[in-house]
Amino acid sequence: MKTGLYLSISPLLVVALGGALLMLAEAFSHHREEHESRSAGPSSELALGTAITLFTGAIFAAAVWFVGPEKLDGSQDLAPWLIIDRFTLFFAFTICVGGGLASLLAGGYLPEHRIDRGEFYPLLTFSSVGAIILAAAGDVLTLFLGLEIMSLGVYALTGFRRGSARSTEASMKYFLLGSFAAALLLYGAALIYGATGHTDLAGIRAALVAGNLNYGLVLIAVTLMIVGLAFKISAVPFHMWTPDAYEGAPTPATSFMAVVVKSAAFATMLRVLLVAFGQPELSSWGAGWPPIIATLAVLTMTVANLIAGRQESVKRMLAYSSIAHAGYILVGVTTTMRLHEDGQASVMFYLLAYTVSTIGAFGALILCGSRGAEAVSYEDLSGLGKRHPAVALVFSLFLLSLAGVPPTAGFFGKLYIVKGAIGAGLYPLSVILLLNSVLGAYYYLRVLVFMYMREPAPGAPFARPMKSGYVTSALVLAAVAVVALGLFPTTSLEVAVRAALAP
Amino acid sequence: MATYVPLLLLFLVGAVITGALFTLSSILGPKNPTPEKMMPYECGSESTGGRFVKPSVKFYLTAILFVVFDIEVVLMYPWAIQFRTLGWGGMATMGSFVSLLVVALIYVWKKGALEWET
Repeated sequence: MKTGLYLSISPLLVVALGGALLMLAEAFSHHREEHESRSAGPSSELALGTAITLFTGAIFAAAVWFVGPEKLDGSQDLAPWLIIDRFTLFFAFTICVGGGLASLLAGGYLPEHRIDRGEFYPLLTFSSVGAIILAAAGDVLTLFLGLEIMSLGVYALTGFRRGSARSTEASMKYFLLGSFAAALLLYGAALIYGATGHTDLAGIRAALVAGNLNYGLVLIAVTLMIVGLAFKISAVPFHMWTPDAYEGAPTPATSFMAVVVKSAAFATMLRVLLVAFGQPELSSWGAGWPPIIATLAVLTMTVANLIAGRQESVKRMLAYSSIAHAGYILVGVTTTMRLHEDGQASVMFYLLAYTVSTIGAFGALILCGSRGAEAVSYEDLSGLGKRHPAVALVFSLFLLSLAGVPPTAGFFGKLYIVKGAIGAGLYPLSVILLLNSVLGAYYYLRVLVFMYMREPAPGAPFARPMKSGYVTSALVLAAVAVVALGLFPTTSLEVAVRAALAP
Repeated sequence: MATYVPLLLLFLVGAVITGALFTLSSILGPKNPTPEKMMPYECGSESTGGRFVKPSVKFYLTAILFVVFDIEVVLMYPWAIQFRTLGWGGMATMGSFVSLLVVALIYVWKKGALEWET
């Protein structure tokens, strides 16, 4: 028995065991779907259980961080399959926080919209397990395993509103394109194994450094793997599924997809690019992955922001905004080619800020709707500032954070990414990012205009507002995090710098 | 590449033989079509209904459950062969694996997925 080993993977174990318990609890809970009362469904207990499980996972991740994974005897026993380092722990923390907040949102949303079935919570928990495995994977096989564990749960969550054709369509689209992307990734992994004879990332790097390889194969493999991951982070030529899937899914599932899936995919993208293909020859501007990632970043930011401004549905606008944010983060990924630690730290900080802001924005949108009448369009939100000033206030806070207005978390996220890009000499990319932030401000501020400068329309969805302690507490937590990250950004940035992968 | 030449030859010979048999039988064979002969073959009995039958979703559920326990057995065979070498560590690992599957089984049972008539 090596206690160090079990301690180091304790975040994973806690979440996985919690998921199994939740699954059993759900099976043995009474089926009270048909009840009129809002607090009678299985959600009322399971949401709390899921949130406790995931926040405990986050606490364990933080605890292992403070002890230091390198000090735990046996923490490297699972390498190269699962690598437990500070990088993994940082992402495990982000994933657990994002998943916990999403489950709190679900605790209010599902009973309100009469889709109160308990499967949501175990699925969400197991998806988080997959996301943590994905962030920790140091071998393409565990990478694929984590990707599938994460994705299968999310496919089911997307189609959770079984009666709705929209939700089913979203789930089908996401499933088909997602499995296609997974197949591309696996194909790339098979080719890289054919070229180098290694499936572990460190071994791939060693083989690439040693040389004497079929570089054509390596090139195709890298491209296929980047395409597979770009599907998951919804970078632009591969973003087609995102708006439909995000719009059709129940809003808590959307926020989970936007936050947890994206964080995990970025974690594994960083690890693949920096560990397996990180040697200087492959991470230069002339050859290797930086030009591909930079092109993806420019396309993603520009296209997503241009389309987002034209949306009439707020949920769809938030979907495009999450694509645009993936573009900003890709700039940070490009930066890592010259500024190794700072580039990674800016990506991690941005993901943390993005997680709390996005969950908050979706949560506020949930609070604006009630049974049978979800807030969809901008008009649905008009006059919110007068009717429900508190909701309007936090909604504005999250939107301003997404737009990158100081002193919120989003501002410092963008600041660090731009700072890194300028420090790395990527001037055109930084200029494009700044121009895109201005474009983005248009559609975020448009929501504020509708909330504060329009009279409430008769029959607006929030006339009979939903009240939910779960959603409210999630919003409060997220708002506190947004403000705290905005007021004390350097602390979290230092944490992120310490979490960076070694060159 | 030379290793694959016999395989290619095999494909080639297979294609030539099958092609030849089909062409020759269609050219040389006697033809006496009757309505019964032109019907789709259904084990010799009279065919009933169209081609597209919607199978019940229960079959998929059963198939999925079968796969889960099939995989379990696939993993158990190597463990059983190496039982003495792996010792108690192997026993504990397999025990945790099986207990996770038992949790899944309890879930499936409780959800009523094992009942055919619902």
